[in-house]
Amino acid sequence: MTRKARQRWVIFAFLSPWLIIFAIFNAFPIIYSFFTSFTDYSGLNPEMKFVGLGNYIKALQDEVFLKALGNTLIFVVGTIPFTTGIALLLALLLNSKRLKKNGIFKAGFFLPSVISMVVISTIWIYLYSSNGLFNTVGNVLGFQMEARSWLASPKTALLSIMIMDVWAAFGYYLILIYAGLQNVPEQLYEAARIDGATNTQIALKITLPYIRPTLFFVIAINTIRSFQIFSEIYTMTGGGPRNSTQTIVHYLYQVAFRQFDMGYGSAIAYILLIMIMIVTLIQKYLLRSARV
Amino acid sequence: MKKRTVGGKWLFTLLILLLLISLMPLFMMFFTSVIPQGDLFHLITERSLLDFESSSIYLRTKMKTIGTRDFELKELPNGDSKALSITIEDPRKEYGVAAFTGDNDMNLVGHLSLYISAPENSQLYLGLKDINDVEEKIPLQRITHDGLEKLRIDFDPQRFETVNIGHISQVQFIIAPPEDALGQELVVDDIQSKLRFPTLSNFITVWKEQDFARYMFNSSLISLIVVLGNLVFCSMVAYAFARKRFRGKEVLFSLVLATMMIPPQVTIIPVFILMKNLGWIDTYMALIFPFLVTPFGIFLMRQYIEQLPSEFDEAAYVDGANDFQIFTRIIMPLSGPAMAVLGINTFITIWNDLFYPLVMTNSKGMRTVQVGLAMYQKLNQTDWPRMMSASTIAGIPVIIIFLIFQKQIISGLVEGGVKG
Repeated sequence: MTRKARQRWVIFAFLSPWLIIFAIFNAFPIIYSFFTSFTDYSGLNPEMKFVGLGNYIKALQDEVFLKALGNTLIFVVGTIPFTTGIALLLALLLNSKRLKKNGIFKAGFFLPSVISMVVISTIWIYLYSSNGLFNTVGNVLGFQMEARSWLASPKTALLSIMIMDVWAAFGYYLILIYAGLQNVPEQLYEAARIDGATNTQIALKITLPYIRPTLFFVIAINTIRSFQIFSEIYTMTGGGPRNSTQTIVHYLYQVAFRQFDMGYGSAIAYILLIMIMIVTLIQKYLLRSARV
Repeated sequence: MKKRTVGGKWLFTLLILLLLISLMPLFMMFFTSVIPQGDLFHLITERSLLDFESSSIYLRTKMKTIGTRDFELKELPNGDSKALSITIEDPRKEYGVAAFTGDNDMNLVGHLSLYISAPENSQLYLGLKDINDVEEKIPLQRITHDGLEKLRIDFDPQRFETVNIGHISQVQFIIAPPEDALGQELVVDDIQSKLRFPTLSNFITVWKEQDFARYMFNSSLISLIVVLGNLVFCSMVAYAFARKRFRGKEVLFSLVLATMMIPPQVTIIPVFILMKNLGWIDTYMALIFPFLVTPFGIFLMRQYIEQLPSEFDEAAYVDGANDFQIFTRIIMPLSGPAMAVLGINTFITIWNDLFYPLVMTNSKGMRTVQVGLAMYQKLNQTDWPRMMSASTIAGIPVIIIFLIFQKQIISGLVEGGVKG
């Protein structure tokens, strides 16, 4: 064997773990579900019936799916201003020079985001329960709280999960934004102060432009994660009451693994993939324009 | 310039306050996991077993007498309270009262108390009967006092050997009267149990009876193997990407980055069908194999290996070392910090995942701790102390790892996030 041929084998050997996993668990599934999304397929028996765009048309006429899509949208619009806002505010506070040590705060605020969503959901089921923290505090403050769980009413269930998610997620974005703030050169601040710039001017003219890429990134990640919400829905409400907390991935789970309608499930998965790709592309585009 | 007057101390205090508020749900979880019964705002530490204030017909559903079926409800001298009275007709027999407790976890009980009046020199026993009708009794003190007295009995589960302390259906107080007690009476009132607080018995119950030991074993095994796989395989792949030149490298690497963006939910259906055809559903293989190499790991390790000085491997190469030797002897030992980041982040991701193991398992014995907790929670809607101890069990490994390795975790997040 020539040296070159041997080199090729060595490279192939080193890459092989990924090539195998990529082929089996990424490439094949993406192609396979593209095809199954055009079929009527239960996954239990090998029978597959070609239905063309049937599954996609079904999705657009499926009230539950549209509800799930709407809920996801409410989720994105309703939580992102708060997660990003709280994270940005705290990151600015932590970045303040008046603070000698901020390690404990970074770790403390971040802690909830490493804990599994099932654990967090279980805790919040307890806090939202009829005798839980929120009802007790509400009663103490003089509100006539209904003696039932916040998750039991279609009016409050989605809102409750959104509040929980803001709590569970902001620490993650806080760390990202804080890392972004470290990129702002210190001299710029000093120069601006010497020139007599106000705090607002400094924030708008120096800090914001520097962390804009980070903010775009945070918002994009936040959106993509909101598209993928599953654990909290599965644990807390199962999509109910009356589909008021149904989300795309939870519905995908129900369709594919409860009703065993894998063809339709694949179509939903593809719609999800396309949505995520669109958000990613928008983020990439904004990022490019922000850097120029 | 109002803001400038805000001192560092105020800022610190404000942040501490915000931090405490933000960590409150976790404190509540820990606190509730050690309370015996009830919840945070309705802490139950005392339970009345019998107080004899109701009608005898109703009482017969809550208790029975031992030694005889006949009993009287008798007014106590203070007038407003009724007590149970049994007449001793045969001093060779034992007499007493058994309170029905349903299915009661006696591990929670710290002590029992009751008012009792019995013939002098009676031997008092405490008996327990579990839901499988196993009975056991242990001797307590002799009655030396004449007339009604309040007894406090410290409850030690260790003294019972055969009954199942976790599932007790009857609590019995029995006396063996002295020989000359014919015609005397046994009076009992106000039997109460005082619960232990704080207690670890919720953890013990959840661990032993609700299969959390098994779930934890599954989660640990899967996470650790996946971590090991990632450390070895991702570094291998990253080594090729960082150090080798070959055609199509850029394309392949952008494929790695692209797969980072594909959420697992999109590929779950074909993967499930594949696993079913392989016969891997409900096995460790299904939960481990797909995660042995992750694009995040490859990306992270490549970034790190790329910035390692290449003099070492060039020198080794000149000395005749092959790629395998360079990789294991030089690159891997130098990659410690990146491997720490990768290992810890992989562990947390795998440990916390619900969606994938939920789809791939169907038997109880194969569940990971997240699946187990989600299922347990659905079945025990309001048993908060046990539910919170189950949550603590599922959450504590990650919390501990976080407290030790927060630097690596945060840097992994920033690496994979901002730069990716």
